[in-house]
Amino acid sequence: MELNGLSIDQAPPISAPVRFFITAPLFGIIAGLLIFFSDSATLMSRFSVESIVIAHAMTIGFLGFIMLGALTQMLPVLVGAKMPNVAVVSKYSFYLLSFGLLFMIVGLLNHNSLLISFAMFGLGSGFLLMIGSMGIALKGVSNFTPTVKAISTSLVFASIIVLMGLFLLYSYVVDDIGELHTIVANIHSVWAAFGFAGILIIGVAFQVLPMFYVAPKFKSFCKKRVVWLISIGLVMWLFFTLFQEEWTLFAKLWIATFFWAFATTVWLKLSRRRRPISDVTVWYWRSASIFLTLGAFLWIFDEYFKHEYIVMVAILIGGGFIMSIMVGMVYKVIPFLVWFHLNGMGYMSIPTMNEMTNKKLAYTQFATFIGALIGFVFAFYMPELLQISALSFTFSMILLEYNVIAPMLIYKKTLQTKPDFDMSAFASK
Amino acid sequence: MITIKDFLTADHGRCDEYFADMEAKATESLSNAKEACEAFINETEKHFQMEERVVFEEFETKTGMTQGPTAMMRHEHTQMRGLMAQMLEAIAADNKDKFFGTTETFMILQQQHNMKEEQMLYPMVQQHLEAESERIVEMIDSLVVE
Repeated sequence: MELNGLSIDQAPPISAPVRFFITAPLFGIIAGLLIFFSDSATLMSRFSVESIVIAHAMTIGFLGFIMLGALTQMLPVLVGAKMPNVAVVSKYSFYLLSFGLLFMIVGLLNHNSLLISFAMFGLGSGFLLMIGSMGIALKGVSNFTPTVKAISTSLVFASIIVLMGLFLLYSYVVDDIGELHTIVANIHSVWAAFGFAGILIIGVAFQVLPMFYVAPKFKSFCKKRVVWLISIGLVMWLFFTLFQEEWTLFAKLWIATFFWAFATTVWLKLSRRRRPISDVTVWYWRSASIFLTLGAFLWIFDEYFKHEYIVMVAILIGGGFIMSIMVGMVYKVIPFLVWFHLNGMGYMSIPTMNEMTNKKLAYTQFATFIGALIGFVFAFYMPELLQISALSFTFSMILLEYNVIAPMLIYKKTLQTKPDFDMSAFASK
Repeated sequence: MITIKDFLTADHGRCDEYFADMEAKATESLSNAKEACEAFINETEKHFQMEERVVFEEFETKTGMTQGPTAMMRHEHTQMRGLMAQMLEAIAADNKDKFFGTTETFMILQQQHNMKEEQMLYPMVQQHLEAESERIVEMIDSLVVE
């Protein structure tokens, strides 16, 4: 049995997850600014270069970074599996991914094949290094809980979508955007949203909701079967997309039903939680449930409208559901990591978690973020809303960055001033 | 007969209930929460002692591992005892912000601690102490807090 996770010496250093968390809002800010300077008509098409760049600044730069950062921290705790050389792996993959993504953004916007080739190298090696290392960690696990199964399944989807992503970037390098590109892009996006992010969130929710909010536990059926049922739905959808297009609606209904059921379950469990505290993370779980429900239904509805609403579906599911959960998680994880590492080093005079984050700013961040998402949706009918929504989104990311950095400054200051070793109070007067 | 693993896992859930009761009372007023806070601390302390005085002792004797996972769990118990003392201080000072800041920190620390125990340590304990399981469960069930 693997017991590495039980030793603080072998727990990942705070820098491993935190460098991802600090950088994520910066890519959010880049995405917000790119939207601000874009034309609403261009963003209506999912295949415009601007849409692709903005989508990946958010999905890789924001969502991917937070998921990877969180996984380096969660694997030892949830699974008892430590990634080999976690400090080195996370550091190198962080730089590979960051530069890879920047090259992708600049390369695609400027149609520069060389930069896109660099992006392929950075993103491909960065992701595969991280996923491979997590795979090795998971391989030795003997206690295969539903959460472990969900994380493992999501990593399988992650590997496949990374390979598809590399193929898609390669089509830009050789300037061959044909029918195959469109098909792969479609599979890449659906599997990324539901297979990687969706299944990962569901698996983590099995543990997190009952634990942090003392909410009722998920039913055994849900924990044991849902991940498999969604995976079957995604494979079925792939098969129909490739060979039997008229049946894709059936597979979409299958997938959407389970995600809608998950959204409803989250809402009900939060309503029946035993902890009365309502902080910004509860609001984020609530907003994620609402946006997921709307997104899942619109994804079905979109089938009858020649995919006219697919960008709106992406805003609802990618922004409203997945981003909401990620932001909420950051608000819980960062202050805890700071407290945990300082306390583990022997510092006792440190602020509590709540004192590390500015609550008012957190709620303002929530309001500007949700406002921006609603604005993006309505910008389909009122294009003049796009710019103001982009500003609101950018502002929300700046506030989030502040709330991520503030606890880290407390961490740094504590290490520098060493308050618990200050003996001046006992000095003779 | 219930196993050591199941007994201690169920006890985590029981402590969570006391914790939720305490926070519910504290939401109304901190002075009303003193009794609930003491009840929660007593139950949690009992759980810690079940582990430290019985289960960890037996495990360490059987395996010879005294500096391994049980040492880490004891360290986290000390961290949690510190936070529980701060909860009582916050009630005495009628400082709601400090109280809920401390309970939030405690909750996350305790839940990741419980998760490590339930996912890793308890299955290992059960495996090594399978033959003595019934005797150990009786001992922890009848434990008197020191």
